Amino acid sequence: MIHARASRLQLAGVLLLLVVLHFYVRPRLWGPRVSPDFLFVGLMLYAMRSGPGAAALAGFLVGLTADALTPARFGAGALAHTVVAYLASWGRAVFFADNLLVNAAFVAVGLWIRDLLVLVVSGTADRPLLAELAVYSPLQALTSALFALLVLVVFREWFSIRLDA
Amino acid sequence: MASASERSYTRRDTVMFLVCLALALLALVSPDSWGLGIAAALRETVLAPVVWLQARAEEGRSSRDRLRLITAERDSAAYRAQALPSLLAENERLRQLLSLSRRTSSPYVAAEVLHQAQATDGRTLLLSVGTRDGVAAFDPVLAPEGLIGVVLSASERTSVVMTWAHPEFRVSAFTVTGNAAGVVAPFAGADGVDGALEFRGVPYRDSVPAGTLVLSSGLGGVYPKGIPVGTVTGVIREQAGWERVYRLLPAANPGSAAHVLVLVAPGGDMARAFPSDSAVRAQEADSVERVRLADSVAQAAPR
Repeated sequence: MIHARASRLQLAGVLLLLVVLHFYVRPRLWGPRVSPDFLFVGLMLYAMRSGPGAAALAGFLVGLTADALTPARFGAGALAHTVVAYLASWGRAVFFADNLLVNAAFVAVGLWIRDLLVLVVSGTADRPLLAELAVYSPLQALTSALFALLVLVVFREWFSIRLDA
Repeated sequence: MASASERSYTRRDTVMFLVCLALALLALVSPDSWGLGIAAALRETVLAPVVWLQARAEEGRSSRDRLRLITAERDSAAYRAQALPSLLAENERLRQLLSLSRRTSSPYVAAEVLHQAQATDGRTLLLSVGTRDGVAAFDPVLAPEGLIGVVLSASERTSVVMTWAHPEFRVSAFTVTGNAAGVVAPFAGADGVDGALEFRGVPYRDSVPAGTLVLSSGLGGVYPKGIPVGTVTGVIREQAGWERVYRLLPAANPGSAAHVLVLVAPGGDMARAFPSDSAVRAQEADSVERVRLADSVAQAAPR
């Protein structure tokens, strides 16, 4: 019981670290459209270790944050993050979610689907949508997945818990 | 067979998912003013610490470059201070020669652009200044290269800019030669907005050659006259012999802008703030000549 609580606190600490990285370190990195999305990495790592309902709620809150900071189409981010987090939580049951590469692949695919949903719901036209999905989204998905892999390697023990157990 | 607790667990998850989905859809279909209001309220309350954190990060990133620049300028200034009166006189003479005055006379606020990870970053930008800095809705936003957009909403510490890439962006404009006027909007081809601008409503008789600079006209009262909007790259379409629509290469890129100026009391003619290519070349040549002279003097001076 004490061990489980400690693990949850450790996990919360890592997620908090990702939030700080997102808002304090990310602006100092290279191009904003290809730098890792630390907030999304945190969401996916949380979603894959919690129940679908909690994942959907976390996705909604992260999406609302994204919408408040980029209000091109308010609600698009909330919708996309809710759906992706919910699917990631269900996907854990289908794939070998304990594998590090599977976790990283979840982040990459999830980010691409998130971008697809945001762009479609925002009413983006065909050509810029294709450019985003063919160039920038894959690059950001790759950098985010690599960073997720690094986080999982460094904090492997802390991420071995199941929050819905 | 699933147990009762598992079924309830699944039902609870589904209900939570559907509630979140419904709230997101509600936000999507709600009026834009509600969305902007909620976004501003969130930025001013629960998200205020993260916005503050990101603004500090942007400052930190740019301050290193600024420090290098200031150090270099200080060294140059210390060296040139010996000949300051003659330099001032020379500067004034060159300004008169080039018909230049101060770059901008309108009051402005410098702002950092807080870029976000979302794919729609570029249509709207978040700035690190708000109403407490004097920023208000409908204030024009400029980059050194030209027009970025207009402030869509301003809260106390932050503001949201609608850039020229936003489908609802419009600006009244005219060519630098003054022979054609029209309205500039995002390029809406067969498949919608395409990262370029279009210059609409130009009478068929007014031919505009490729390479012509298009400036804001000042009509409408939002954008002052003379801000570069884009450069003509060709004709998109002609309509029944009475109108031509031209494609423009935008002057400024919102996706890569790190610092912008918000004109807090727009008015007057901004053309002097954006010198023509010939004036810029003359200024550059003048600077190069001064550095060359300074180097030659430094080499000749006894150590």
